[in-house]
Amino acid sequence: MARNELVLTDVTKRFGGLTAVDTLSFKVAEGQIYGIIGPNGAGKTTVFNCITGIYKSEEGSVNWRGEEIRGLTPYQIVDRGIVRTFQTIRLFGQMSVAENIMSGRHIRSMQSWWHGIIPTPGKKRDELENWQKVEEQLDFFNLSEFAATPTGSLPYGIQRRVEMARAMAVDPTLLILDEPAAGLNDKETLGLLETIFKIRDKGVTVLLIEHDMDMVMEVTDYLTVINFGKKIAEGTPEQIQKDPAVIEAYLGSEEDDEDE
Amino acid sequence: MKELQKFAYPIFFAVMAVLPHLLNDRWQAVAITFLIFAVVALSQDIILGKAGMFNMGQALFFGMGAYTTAILNNQFGWPIAATIPLAILIPAMFGILLAGPIVHLRGDYLLVVTIGFNIVFVQVLQNNLGGVTGGPNGIFGLDSLSLFGFDLMSQVAVYYFAFIVLLLTLWVMHNLAGSKPGRALHYLREDQLAAESIGINTRIYKIFAFGLGAGIAGLAGTVFAVQYSAVSPEAFEFIQSVLFFSIVLVGGSSVPGILLGVFVMFVLPEIFREFATWRYFIFGFAMIAAMILRPRGIWPATFGKIPKFLIKGGSHGAQ
Ligand SMILES: Nc1ncnc2c1ncn2[C@@H]1O[C@H](COP(=O)(O)OP(=O)(O)OP(=O)(O)O)[C@@H](O)[C@H]1O
Ligand SMILES: [Mg+2]
Repeated sequence: MARNELVLTDVTKRFGGLTAVDTLSFKVAEGQIYGIIGPNGAGKTTVFNCITGIYKSEEGSVNWRGEEIRGLTPYQIVDRGIVRTFQTIRLFGQMSVAENIMSGRHIRSMQSWWHGIIPTPGKKRDELENWQKVEEQLDFFNLSEFAATPTGSLPYGIQRRVEMARAMAVDPTLLILDEPAAGLNDKETLGLLETIFKIRDKGVTVLLIEHDMDMVMEVTDYLTVINFGKKIAEGTPEQIQKDPAVIEAYLGSEEDDEDE
Repeated sequence: MKELQKFAYPIFFAVMAVLPHLLNDRWQAVAITFLIFAVVALSQDIILGKAGMFNMGQALFFGMGAYTTAILNNQFGWPIAATIPLAILIPAMFGILLAGPIVHLRGDYLLVVTIGFNIVFVQVLQNNLGGVTGGPNGIFGLDSLSLFGFDLMSQVAVYYFAFIVLLLTLWVMHNLAGSKPGRALHYLREDQLAAESIGINTRIYKIFAFGLGAGIAGLAGTVFAVQYSAVSPEAFEFIQSVLFFSIVLVGGSSVPGILLGVFVMFVLPEIFREFATWRYFIFGFAMIAAMILRPRGIWPATFGKIPKFLIKGGSHGAQ
């Protein structure tokens, strides 16, 4: 039985009068591909922000491998091996793909602040080692031909891949993806599924938000469904598909979407 | 562009190395000013260009270095060379202390706060606080630089002192560009939240940028004090900071852009004397035109400084 890596207990996050996340609890186990789904504005991204330190939840606990991480800063969370991507891609737009991926090596690099002033042989070696790690990610994500291209000028689908490559360059334990398939065409989505499975096979636990029901059913091992910040169901994809509450809340709202 | 730079740098350094022997006294002095102000502008580039922090008080650190050298030499009898470490460290420490509480501020607020610091600094100098700054007249009659028993009194010697300081600065900036802290500055400038979310403690690196920029400006201050054998408050007024700020912005946060900016701002007015009174006017117009036509500067910084082995055949956008 895989142990629990990430345990959220009664997490609540409010914005003024709005309770975006309402006493939410769930457990992600090692090696899982875990999905969070829910209609627009359900509070999915806010949950991710509470886990990754961008927001601090007012109540509840976020526990990572036995340690309380609620209230830590984003970079302290990354130090623990938890790395995320963003729903609205956030790359370093003027910088090349390779430099973007290199940012993921920041916490793995041995360099100190003074290596920015005076070079040493150790620094040279460290630079080379980390650029080689970047090369691995360029190969893994099939981005080699864009290594020197500024990310701002790339198509959306490729930018999504760069963002994942940057996160994977950290050598994370838990990879958090916020709607990785948003804006991708069918072919790119298939490629993404394959990539997510390959990442899991490397031993990385994956937690993802997805809007696209079909994709979620295909890729995840286990799911939590939220609506208005509250959990309305959890289970395997098969269980979720049959759950009447989900069909009503989630699929119902999807029909609304189509009416628009 | 890359090809051009390959030739341009050696030629530039070669010309600069023999320059004082081609110039008369007056032009040697202009050349020294160019070197000193180039160093200050480059130090401002670390804070403003690389890390993207709107610091409008760089003259403060420049002045602090100059006054450190002047006070230690004139009041305490230290040889000039012995004041250099402190002329770097005191402004650097000050940069770190000042930056601590303000680096989280948004660009425009940071701008106002640093202007405030600069004004307070000049007031302190003028009011002769602690009785060591010499008030509005400043401090006169510094010793000349002496090294290994040689008195480097001539203007040519001061020129080479300034030139070595510029080379040192360029070397540090080169090291910075290919290092973890140097890249961290770029990342946090481009997107602070993304930088934090990939593991960068942005606060620490912002303070680092202030400390490093202040230390280099302080060293330039020593050279300035040596050139004139004197220091006085008006050389470090807030308007000087505005110039350094504009040079980085208009030049475009690249070494050639900044050198060009310093040349236009401090050397051209000497060539065209009648132009001197017009320089703020003309530079103001140049700034407006540059910001409209080339918002990233006349000679924008190029990224893509990545190892060759990553650039495989057919790479898009490789330079
Ligand atoms: N910084 C904020 N300030 C105020 N309200 C916010 C903030 N961030 C999110 N909200 C609100 O919290 C609720 C949940 O938003 P969230 O972005 O978490 O939803 P989501 O499930 O990710 O939606 P989507 O599928 O559209 O991405 C929404 O009503 C949103 O307007
Ligand atoms: Mg969202």
